[in-house]
Amino acid sequence: MKNLNINHRQVGNYDVLELIGELDAHTASQLEKVLKRLINQEKHNIIVNCEDLEYIASAGLGVFMAYIEDVRSVGGDIKLSNMNPKVYNVFDLLGFPTLYDIVPEEEEAIQKFESDESE
Amino acid sequence: MLSRSANQGEDHQSRFELNTLLETSRMLVESQDMDFVLNNLLLITMGKLMVSRAMVIIYQPATDNYKVSKSKGRNCPPEGQYLSFQFGDKVREQSVIQCGIDDIELPEILEGDHRCTLFNLRTSNNHIGFLCLGSKGNDQPLNEHEIEFIESLSIISSVAIANSRMFTELRRINRKLDRKVYELNTLFDLSKDFNIMVDRQEIVRIFKFAMLGQMLIRKFFFILEQDGEREVVTASGIRTTPDPADIDTLFEREQDLIEVDQQLADDIPFLAENDIRAVIGLHFQHEKIALVGVGSRANGEPYSSSDYNFLRSLGNLALLSIQKTYLLEERIEKERLEEELNIAKGIQKGLLPDPIPGCDKLDIAARNISSSQVGGDYFDILETPDKRLLFAIGDVTGKGIPAALLMANLQAMLHVLLPIDISLTEATGQVNDIIHRNTPADKFITFFWGILDPDDLSFRYVNAGHNPPVLFRADADQPQELQEGGLILGAMPTLNPYEEQTVPLSSGDLLVFYTDGVTEAMNPDRSEEFGKQRLLDCIRNHRSKSSEEIEQAIIKDVQSFADGDQSDDITLIVIKVN
Repeated sequence: MKNLNINHRQVGNYDVLELIGELDAHTASQLEKVLKRLINQEKHNIIVNCEDLEYIASAGLGVFMAYIEDVRSVGGDIKLSNMNPKVYNVFDLLGFPTLYDIVPEEEEAIQKFESDESE
Repeated sequence: MLSRSANQGEDHQSRFELNTLLETSRMLVESQDMDFVLNNLLLITMGKLMVSRAMVIIYQPATDNYKVSKSKGRNCPPEGQYLSFQFGDKVREQSVIQCGIDDIELPEILEGDHRCTLFNLRTSNNHIGFLCLGSKGNDQPLNEHEIEFIESLSIISSVAIANSRMFTELRRINRKLDRKVYELNTLFDLSKDFNIMVDRQEIVRIFKFAMLGQMLIRKFFFILEQDGEREVVTASGIRTTPDPADIDTLFEREQDLIEVDQQLADDIPFLAENDIRAVIGLHFQHEKIALVGVGSRANGEPYSSSDYNFLRSLGNLALLSIQKTYLLEERIEKERLEEELNIAKGIQKGLLPDPIPGCDKLDIAARNISSSQVGGDYFDILETPDKRLLFAIGDVTGKGIPAALLMANLQAMLHVLLPIDISLTEATGQVNDIIHRNTPADKFITFFWGILDPDDLSFRYVNAGHNPPVLFRADADQPQELQEGGLILGAMPTLNPYEEQTVPLSSGDLLVFYTDGVTEAMNPDRSEEFGKQRLLDCIRNHRSKSSEEIEQAIIKDVQSFADGDQSDDITLIVIKVN
C-alpha cells in the first residue's frame, strides 16, 4: 500500500502543505490531523501544493470539504496548486474548481491570498 | 467600357463574398463555441451591410419564447432577456422577413426601428431562432444580393449552432458518464477498504469524508442504532444535537428518502438549523437502523435521483461494514469465552484426585466424564492423616460456570476440613451452613461422603440427599442402599445434625457411588431413562471383575443406551474389597 507524506513549510504568512503520494481512504485522516492542527494554531491561510500528489480519492476530497468552512469563516482559505492533470480531473469532475482556488503554481496562490486581503 | 468596369466590380464583390462565406464556413464549422459563432455572425453581417444594431434571438421550445443570446448596438434588448412574440408557424417557415415590406404583422423588435429584417436560423428540421438586423445606415431596404448573402451566412451559422449544441450536449453526457464511473470506482474502492478494516471509528470517518468529497457537501450526520440506542456517530458542520424524540420521528417515517420540506423543518428545528436537505434511512436485515442526513451541495445543484442512489449505496456499504465489525467482535468474544472455559476445564480437572490414592486391601476405580466444558459433578478420594480413606461424591444443581464454581468451593472445604479432628456429622453440618449462606437459594449440592478404615474395614458415611450408593455384599444378590444422613446441602441451615451410619465391610464386597448422570441418561428419542435397574443389572453382570472393568462396563452401557448423546455429567466410584 502506498502512503502519504505531508511536508509543512512556512512561506511568509502562509502555511504550505506538500502532499506526496496518495490521498485516499487510508491516508485522509493524516491530512485531517495536519489541517486540524493548523486551524487550532489559528493558521488559516493554507496552500496545499499537490505537485507530488499521485492519486486522490473522494475521501481525500472530503477532508477539504470538511474544513473549508472553518478557515473561511475566519477570513482564511485553503488554496490548491500544482496539480497534475490526473488529479485535477478528479477535482474537476466533482465540481471543486467552482468552490476552491486551484492554481497552476504555488506563487499564484500566494498572490491570490494577497489580492484577497487587499480587497 | 462603363458596363465592363461595373461587371468587373460585381465580379470582384462576388468573389469577395464567396471568400467570406468560405472562410466563415470553415471557421464556424470547426468551432464548437456557440458564443464565437454568434459573435461572428453579427460582426460579419453588421460590417457587410453597415447596420448599427443587430441581435440573435434563440427559440426556447419549453417556454415558447425567445432569448436574446447576443446583441450589438445601441438600444438593443440586453443579452439574456426573454422576448415573446405571437409568431405563427408561417413566420417560422419563412427564410427572410422584412418589416414594413412583407405583409406580416410584426411587433417592434428593435426599439424605434420599423425596417428590421429577420433571417431565419434553422436546420432542415429545427427552428433555432432569428438573426434580427436593424435598418441600414442609409435607411434603404436590403437588396436582393445582400439578402442572398446573409441567407447563406445564416444557413452556415445555423449548422454551426446545431453542431455546437450537439457538442455541448455530448460533453454534458460524457461528463455525467465520467461522474458515474467515478462514483462506481469510489464504491468499489471503499468496499475493498472497508473489508479489511475492523476499526469502526475509522470506517465511520472514511464514510464521512467520502460522502463530503463525492457529493460536495459540508453538512452531514450519521445516526446509528446499536443495542436500542440511536446516536449520532459522526457529523460534519452540524452545530446542534438532535433531540432523541426527533431522531425517533425520523426513524419512524415510512419512506426511506425524506426530502426536508417546510413542514418537516418546522416540526424538527434541528434540520432547519443545520440546513439539512434530505435524510435517508438505511436498513440491515429488514430493519431501519441508520439515518444519513445531508445538507445542500456546495455547488448549489439539487440532488438527483442518481445522487440519492449513490448516497444510499455508500451508506449501505458503510453500514454493512460497521455491522460486520460488531459480528466479528462477538465472534472474538465467543472464542475468548470458549478459551476461558477450556482453561476452567483444565483447572477443574486438576481439582479431581490424580493419581487416585490406593490401598492394598481395596481395588478402587473412579471416573468423571463432563458433558459440557465445565460441570457440576465432583468426586474425591483422600487419605486422612491417620491413614484412613475418605471417599466423596457430589452433584451441584445446574451446569456450566456457576456449578463449576460451587463444585470448586466444596472441594476446597473438604480439603481444609480433612486434617481437622471432627466427626463426619459435624463436618457435614458445617459444610451445609457455609453453602447455605454463600449461595443463592436455588443452588444445592447432593453430597455423599464416607471414611473407610483399612484396619477394620469399617465404612462410616453421611448421605446429604445424594443418589444412595449401592453396596453389594459378597454373598448377596440384592444390594444395600446407603441412605443415612440428612438434607441436601445448601437448602436450609443445619437444624438437626446429619445422621451417620457405619457399615462393616468384608472381602468381596462391592461399593458403587454414582451421580444422576448415570441413571438419568436418556435414550435417543428421549422417552426413557437408563434407570437404576439397568445400573444394578450391569453391576451384577460384571461383579466378579475388577473395579476398573465394572466402571468401564457401566459407562459403556450408559453411552450405548444414550447413543453417545450425553446431556449430564457422569461420575462413578467403584470400590471392591480384596
